[in-house]
Amino acid sequence: MSVIHKLAYGVKHILELDIAGHNLVPYPDDTFIVSYPKSGNTWTRFLIANLLQPDPPLTLLNMERMVPAVDGQTRRFFKAMPRPRVIRDHGPFNPQYKNVIYIVRDPRDVVISAYNFVLKGSIIDESYPLTTFVNEFVRGARSAVGSWGENVASWLATRGNTPRFLLLRYEDMLSGTAHELGKVASFLGMQVSADRLAEAVNRSSADNMRKLEKMHGDKWIQNKHMKRKDIPFVRSAKAGGWQAVLPKTAVAEMESAWGPLMAKLGYELSTSQAVETRALNAAL
Amino acid sequence: MIGELKYVLRNALGKDLAGRYFTTFPDDTFIVSFPRSGNTWTRFLIGNLIQPSGSITFLNIERVIPDTNALSKSDLRRIPRPRILKSHQHFDPRYKKVIYIVRDPRDVALSHYNWQRKRREIDDQYPLERYISRFIAGDLAGWGSWGEHVLSWLATRHNSPDFLLLRYEAMLEEPLQELGKVAPFLGIAATPETLATAVERSSADNMRKMEKTQGNKWVTTKGRREDIPFVGKAKHGGWQSLLPESSVEEIESAWGPLMKTLGYELTRRSGPALEPPFIPLGNWGARHDQSNV
Repeated sequence: MSVIHKLAYGVKHILELDIAGHNLVPYPDDTFIVSYPKSGNTWTRFLIANLLQPDPPLTLLNMERMVPAVDGQTRRFFKAMPRPRVIRDHGPFNPQYKNVIYIVRDPRDVVISAYNFVLKGSIIDESYPLTTFVNEFVRGARSAVGSWGENVASWLATRGNTPRFLLLRYEDMLSGTAHELGKVASFLGMQVSADRLAEAVNRSSADNMRKLEKMHGDKWIQNKHMKRKDIPFVRSAKAGGWQAVLPKTAVAEMESAWGPLMAKLGYELSTSQAVETRALNAAL
Repeated sequence: MIGELKYVLRNALGKDLAGRYFTTFPDDTFIVSFPRSGNTWTRFLIGNLIQPSGSITFLNIERVIPDTNALSKSDLRRIPRPRILKSHQHFDPRYKKVIYIVRDPRDVALSHYNWQRKRREIDDQYPLERYISRFIAGDLAGWGSWGEHVLSWLATRHNSPDFLLLRYEAMLEEPLQELGKVAPFLGIAATPETLATAVERSSADNMRKMEKTQGNKWVTTKGRREDIPFVGKAKHGGWQSLLPESSVEEIESAWGPLMKTLGYELTRRSGPALEPPFIPLGNWGARHDQSNV
């Protein structure tokens, strides 16, 4: 960054119009919705936003302001937000986050979604070999938030057993959406009727989100800078897609890197890995 | 407002503290630990090993193994690569090669108490029991709690060829042997003689002597209370005579399983069974061997 750019940033900083990011000042009553990218975070935010605001029906644009991304709004915005705030992040363990809902998803599905995401951003094109991409994914090579395994393990190891940490599996959210959202509501201290849960689930259906993406997608911060308009942000919203798409070698590479962690999270391994549960006790 | 302007100017000139967010390079090595775990001693040991011609002092250590929490972004940029940097950060995925030092949290807590007295952040009357409770909660500094800090690194990098775990206690007992592990990790050719020289030059006695004459010039101790030394007793197990029993119990009930795993024997005989928590452990970052830039 040139000095001019830095001074421009400086003016923004003084006016608190710089993107919050790691300069966000967290409050103890904040709740953070954390996940590795492409693990169902946007859907979860939409579900929560629909609980917070039953009427009028939400769009992706006002969802983005109700449950903002830490790197999507200015410091002034976060300061003005009514507390308690619900904020999205993708980062690895952060000791300043006191209330955390962590969403985890089968990394074999995450990698396919991530591949589509970089396609959408025209960072790669369709000729880019999926196996190469998987190898990069395993190494965390394109990631600013660590590899999938680092990100997940950093949170589970530090907070996995604490009361102010709620672990959600994307797959459970798909198969029992209202049930999982009910857990979120009580974690947030919300009293919510079954009807209202059902309504929030309904409004956050993949179909509805696809419609909303068509309506406002171009203005939405997640899509605005994406070059390929032909690839949607909201995808199939299914689990297990990897089985038809991922080459066997790529599956084996992921399972050999993260097998024990995946197994622990209930993701059945397809290759015969020597799954020693590398509990800390045994390993040191 | 004036403070903000200062920050902006510093930032524009790269003079703001490096801290957690500065430019890292794939060939950096980081010496990481929770504060008060033997990090400065390790820097002296390594510094004396890689720079055998002249001794490491408090006046040159920041040029040889700089502290990311003492120097500015532009200072760090000027350090010739490959750099060895000191850090107290919890897990950071950008740190590709890490030496992690762990120390018995019962001793860390005591040393931390003295350190905050030296910094005038608490006064001498501050009750130790209350301090220990806050230490466990991790709300004394921005580093997270001791347990979170250790676990954030072990869960992500343990077993990685680019991660070296050192115990402070083992370093005290066998400094030659432990420094002998560091040398190949850093790709340094070391002989028994160069190792012995480095250990000798970094002895607690030597460091204490240097602190007396240089402490008021070193960035970390400048302006701090001079009646409390930075270089402590350089012993382990001090907690046994100094920590109240209730505090020991509090620490052990917070981190018992992790402490046990790290080889720190617990005093607790009774009480609730210490079920090990789910601690995923391993080299989940994996494969730093290939190009990662």
